Amino acid sequence: MKKILLIFCLLFLSASSTGCWNLKEPNQRAFIIGVGMDMTEDKELEISSEVAVPAGLGSSQVTGAGKKNTYTVVSAKGKDFMDAGQRLQAELSRSLFYAHRQTILIGHHMAEVGLDKYLDMIFRNPKSELRSVILVVKDGTAKEVIKAEPTFDPFISTTLGSQQSALGMKPYYYRMLLCDAFSEGTQPIVPAITADPSRGYVYAGSAILDKDHGIKLVGYLNPEESMYDNWIMGKQKNLTFTTSIGKRNETISIAVQSLKHRTRIKMVKHRPQIYISLHGIGSIVENNSSLDPSREDDLKTIQTKLSQEAEKKVRKLVDKAQHQYKIDIFGIGEHVHRQHPEIWKTLKPHWRETFPELPITVSVHLRYRDPGQTNSSL
Amino acid sequence: MNSANQKPTNIDPNLPLSRHLVDNEHMLKTMFERCSDVIFRDVTLQGDTKLLFIYVDGMIDKDIIQSVILKPLIYEGIPQGVGPIDSIAQMCDQQLFAVLQTKKVNTFRDAADDILKGHLAILADGEPTVLLTDVSDYETRSIEEPSTESALRGTRESFTESLRTNTTMLRRIIVTPNLKMESYNIGKLTQTEVVLAYIDGLVSTSMLDEIRSRVERIDLQGVLESGYIEESIEDTHYSPFPQMLSSERPDVVSAGLMEGRVAVLVNGSPITLVVPMTFWDGLQAPDDYYERFMYITMNRWIRYLFALFAILFPSVYIALTTYHPEMVPPKLMLSITGLREQAPFPTVIEVFIMEFMFEGLREAGIRLPQQIGPLVSIVGALVIGQAAVQAGIISAPIVIVVSAAGISSFVIPRYRFGYPMRMLRFPLLVLSGIFGLFGTAIGMIAILSHLIHLTPFGSPYLQPVAPTKKNRAKNVFLRLPRKRASKS
Repeated sequence: MKKILLIFCLLFLSASSTGCWNLKEPNQRAFIIGVGMDMTEDKELEISSEVAVPAGLGSSQVTGAGKKNTYTVVSAKGKDFMDAGQRLQAELSRSLFYAHRQTILIGHHMAEVGLDKYLDMIFRNPKSELRSVILVVKDGTAKEVIKAEPTFDPFISTTLGSQQSALGMKPYYYRMLLCDAFSEGTQPIVPAITADPSRGYVYAGSAILDKDHGIKLVGYLNPEESMYDNWIMGKQKNLTFTTSIGKRNETISIAVQSLKHRTRIKMVKHRPQIYISLHGIGSIVENNSSLDPSREDDLKTIQTKLSQEAEKKVRKLVDKAQHQYKIDIFGIGEHVHRQHPEIWKTLKPHWRETFPELPITVSVHLRYRDPGQTNSSL
Repeated sequence: MNSANQKPTNIDPNLPLSRHLVDNEHMLKTMFERCSDVIFRDVTLQGDTKLLFIYVDGMIDKDIIQSVILKPLIYEGIPQGVGPIDSIAQMCDQQLFAVLQTKKVNTFRDAADDILKGHLAILADGEPTVLLTDVSDYETRSIEEPSTESALRGTRESFTESLRTNTTMLRRIIVTPNLKMESYNIGKLTQTEVVLAYIDGLVSTSMLDEIRSRVERIDLQGVLESGYIEESIEDTHYSPFPQMLSSERPDVVSAGLMEGRVAVLVNGSPITLVVPMTFWDGLQAPDDYYERFMYITMNRWIRYLFALFAILFPSVYIALTTYHPEMVPPKLMLSITGLREQAPFPTVIEVFIMEFMFEGLREAGIRLPQQIGPLVSIVGALVIGQAAVQAGIISAPIVIVVSAAGISSFVIPRYRFGYPMRMLRFPLLVLSGIFGLFGTAIGMIAILSHLIHLTPFGSPYLQPVAPTKKNRAKNVFLRLPRKRASKS
């Protein structure tokens, strides 16, 4: 008996000396659902936090007309994240809780200045969620998006991740930004939205951030370009592709389900040659042309046309990256690093200068397995 | 008080009988003074032979006495010309009551003991012996369906209070002379017959010796139920877990016997103990080996999960919502928070209140007469379930948590095995209320180390999982088909 008591005393002591005394009832916490980061004109960080109001969510207890809001937005300026957080706390009676943050929005200005100085808190603080979806607000502030009324969900922040899934992309989490930022040769391509007065926000493609210069905004890709870029990077799960065909520019749409991508590096005389090949298999979902997808000739015509059109667009994107932005948005550097690690060592210091001159060959093969439920169009 | 001060008998019961019937009668009458149910009946045969019949009214079969003993003696007298007869007792024993069990004793104590067990004592003048014939016949409960261990499949018989009936049931199932039944009389006042049943050759002799010696060491005034024996021979009293399987089903006990275990049957108790027990027995239902193996494998997993659930759910809920809200999915966390906006008490207190209410309801449900039983459930459901939530005293998730954990503890097929699960919830609640998940982990480690430490009658409680016996452990988790189970 004495021994057992002793053991319990020891256990109790060891447990109480670890400092695990952070009991807080759920209704003593303010759950932050989304965070917006903006840079004001006078170079100060402004944090806008969307805080859940749980009383508005618990439907059973709110009867009658007095339905509360489901969220409130508080914002404060500060020297850094936690400094602003302290000021946010001044406005709230419950202690801020970051672990359920679903979204991080980066204002346009903020992205232009560069993120690197302010992102430390998000992965240093153990109570911080690394799986927050991160987005850049194109030509606007994070604050205005985060204040908007959502259409479906009780919070606008939670919709942003599902929006990306709905568009066929893998949601871009903060930890992926971290991976990209610390990788050898990939630049972070972060999804972008624009503020919209009626809907709150609209998907606007991607923002190209330059990890070599303080994760600073370089430029934007429009939704179509980002789709191809995501395909090359393996971040796209499905997409719908439309092409015009024939003399009267009739359209055919194909919903591509299984996307494959491959980037091969061939070394020719110590200079890398890049071969990007993209494959996709899908089903025809709309056919306004006179072609009959069940006939072999037409099948070939449709597939070649689709592939050529896609190829053209990818080439254009490659051209844009090489000559307009002069930045490796396809993660080619990473492929070189993996496939030819010894050569990468010599290439890495001046990869930014090398990239625009690289010979990049693109080939796209789109096939359809399912012509749809009918033959030719009516 | 008065009766306690009275000297029960002023005679030494170990005295041998005398040759004179009058003395013997006087002695026995003094012993059975103020026992209105003990009947003394004098019979005089053919004018000179005096016999004295002593029995306890209500415990003997009067028909047998009339037709087999009294009639032949009174009407026909002592049979003539059958060879030399030493005594009346011998004559009765050998020539008159051929169908009955008889025995002769010489002391008053032995005579009195057997009379009280429903034997008929016959004393003859001039003989210092008592002839005892077993004509006992008293009211017993008939064999009924098991009430605490119902199973969909399998025998509908359950043990009764009568030890003989119970041993018969086992004999009928296991037909081998190797089924041994050692009898002990335990209890100074009750003289309860306790039978150790086992199959010779299957049982481990060292364990059997251990049980025997423990049973012989029992020193009790009375044994009213097998629980008395259980408490007297268990390894440690300081464990919430039962160390003996208790069953009222002859099939469960027979299965135990065939696995080389020892059954302890106690007269007057329909609950038989099977020694030793393992943790996994507590989670097995009687019909586990009667039904198709696939369903049972699934059912077992459900039981294992729910057993874990029964212990852990409330404390994990407390730990997660108050210490580690980051581990709960955001939407769930927000709705939990929303539902407890108006709760006046901390979560721990809420859970404690509800747990106490639940245990109270459960206890009330057992004790109440059947007619007002439903009242408890109605009041319980209304007061605890609905009104408490609507009044804002208790938050809705707590009701869900506590009732889910309560139901899970009832999934455990052996009702007794649900007790430790429900009881251990409370220390775990305290631990996780103070330390969060850390406390839950400490509590579980303590429980597990206790379980590993527990070795009732020398066999580890968590066997065959810890210590691991690979082939047998498979059967704990899967309930393999019989052929494969025996192969491995």
